[in-house]
Amino acid sequence: MNLYLLEYAFASLVRDRFKNIIIATIFALLVFILFSLLFIANSLKHEQEITLNELPDITVQKLRASRHYDIEESVADEILEIPGVTSSTGRVWGYYYFANGGVNFSIVGVDRFEEQYKKSLEKIIQKYDLACEDCSKMVVGSGVAEVMKGSYFKEYFNFIKPDGKVKRVEIAGLFTSDIALEANDMIVMGKEDARELFGLEASKVTDIVVKVANPNEVATIAAKIKQMHPDCRVITKDDLRVSYQNIFDYKSGLFLALFVVVFLAFFIIVYDKASLISSEEKREIGILKAVGWRIDDILKEKFYEALIVSLGAYFIGLLFALIFVYGLNAPLLSNIFSGYSQLKPLLKLPFVLDFQLFASVFFLSVPIYMAATIFPSWRVATMDSDDVMR
Amino acid sequence: MIELKNVTKIYHTQGGEQVDALLGIDLVIPSGSVVVLRGESGSGKSTLLSLIAALSKPTSGEVIVDERQISKLPDNFASIYRGENIGFVFQRYNLIPSLSVAENIIVPLIPHNLERKIIEEKLMRVMKLFSIEHKESAVVRNLSGGEQQRVAIARACVNDPKIILADEPTANLDAALSRNFLEILRVLKSQGKTIVIATHDPIFFDQDFVDAFYEVKKGRIV
Repeated sequence: MNLYLLEYAFASLVRDRFKNIIIATIFALLVFILFSLLFIANSLKHEQEITLNELPDITVQKLRASRHYDIEESVADEILEIPGVTSSTGRVWGYYYFANGGVNFSIVGVDRFEEQYKKSLEKIIQKYDLACEDCSKMVVGSGVAEVMKGSYFKEYFNFIKPDGKVKRVEIAGLFTSDIALEANDMIVMGKEDARELFGLEASKVTDIVVKVANPNEVATIAAKIKQMHPDCRVITKDDLRVSYQNIFDYKSGLFLALFVVVFLAFFIIVYDKASLISSEEKREIGILKAVGWRIDDILKEKFYEALIVSLGAYFIGLLFALIFVYGLNAPLLSNIFSGYSQLKPLLKLPFVLDFQLFASVFFLSVPIYMAATIFPSWRVATMDSDDVMR
Repeated sequence: MIELKNVTKIYHTQGGEQVDALLGIDLVIPSGSVVVLRGESGSGKSTLLSLIAALSKPTSGEVIVDERQISKLPDNFASIYRGENIGFVFQRYNLIPSLSVAENIIVPLIPHNLERKIIEEKLMRVMKLFSIEHKESAVVRNLSGGEQQRVAIARACVNDPKIILADEPTANLDAALSRNFLEILRVLKSQGKTIVIATHDPIFFDQDFVDAFYEVKKGRIV
């Protein structure tokens, strides 16, 4: 390797430092925006996949006037008798609007003697004791705790029940989950406490979740449930998956629009660079050839120049995107993606290592910029030096 | 030895106009000699130097240097030929203005990937020869015309080429600097270099170290 060519390339960049700093800054900014968008999308997609995997095979909801309504818990026992069903549990859940924070919390009621439909709930029950004779206890997600703390509720919270009375619930602990989306806005409390908060009758639940032994039998069992309870909506995991995907795709559309704008800007810069080679640069190439540089010496030198600028800008853009998304939690941008959830106060985006993503942005930026820099130099270098210098 | 056999060079301007820069040139320049091509601007002198340096190719005819046909050399071989055999002093010096004196002088050595010590030695040798060592770090654009010319000559000589081509070398120099340049040429001739100078400056016409004069007029040697 000829290190003098590398030295010359570096010196060339320093000579035109103002121009090169501007180009590298724009390049780094575009890489930063691309990475930020992709990191956010990737993290949310990762969370969505985890959430989907945790979903029950079938969810049964009672409808009244086409609206989701409370269902008798005894329906769960009826469903359990269908061959192929391994578990059928009544869930008590809902949302609680926290006016001071202007956000909704998800409240989930659990009974430690029942089988839990989610691993995360099982972990919470194992770790925290929610049993209390004269009081009520809850475990809250980190986002909920933050919002409550903002209103000076550090040890308990006073919920307002549908009858207007206040229900005090102690904070037994703070839980974290693999799923930031879920952990953040969730409150877990005893099933009876949750019923009381939502004004549910003792025999009623919000819906029923069903687990099926053979995934191929889900559709058949869903049909049987529908037949048994025509007034219910029977939702399979696949239906939910499609629904989640649609929402994510809709958000991805916004992302795509941003992506296109960013990429368009990048191509304008690249086109500008490719189509314009200054008379000074042309003359320099002519001089280099006149003093004995071969075309490949010139191209190597230009390659090094482009590599220093583009790789430098790529890594700077990447570093800033990592800090912006995972360090600062992507202020402004994350809202575009996370708006579909019920609540995400202080959502913490999980880091997902995806080399394909790094490679995608690399191949969409660095080689294009390098080609745009080298190609015009090659055109000039292949001309007669005499013509170039004239 | 440099030989040009029936060399013709025709340019086409951007407007499509044909310019007959050289027409049927036959010329022999023996090794170690100093030859002056004189003639008015646009007579074809610079084109002739370009062809000897393989900076451009003749439309027809042959350019032979040391029994090697250089007029048909592919581009990369032409570059190697220039790098090894030719030192070109351009009319407007053609230095890279933002580089320092030392950086400009070593530019022809970069593709050879020599040891740093050898590059330093070559650099010091030519800087001393042309008395510019005190300007080693100065940026070329800040130098006077005479100093720039000495840098251009130093660059042309740093590879120790056999042939020095100089295109209107005194066009931008005052009388004192022009005389100084003549002394440099004497030194180069004493080192056995073949020197071809394209000029219309009369200062060259009565120099004893010049072996031959050729008058170039409208693309022909008359």
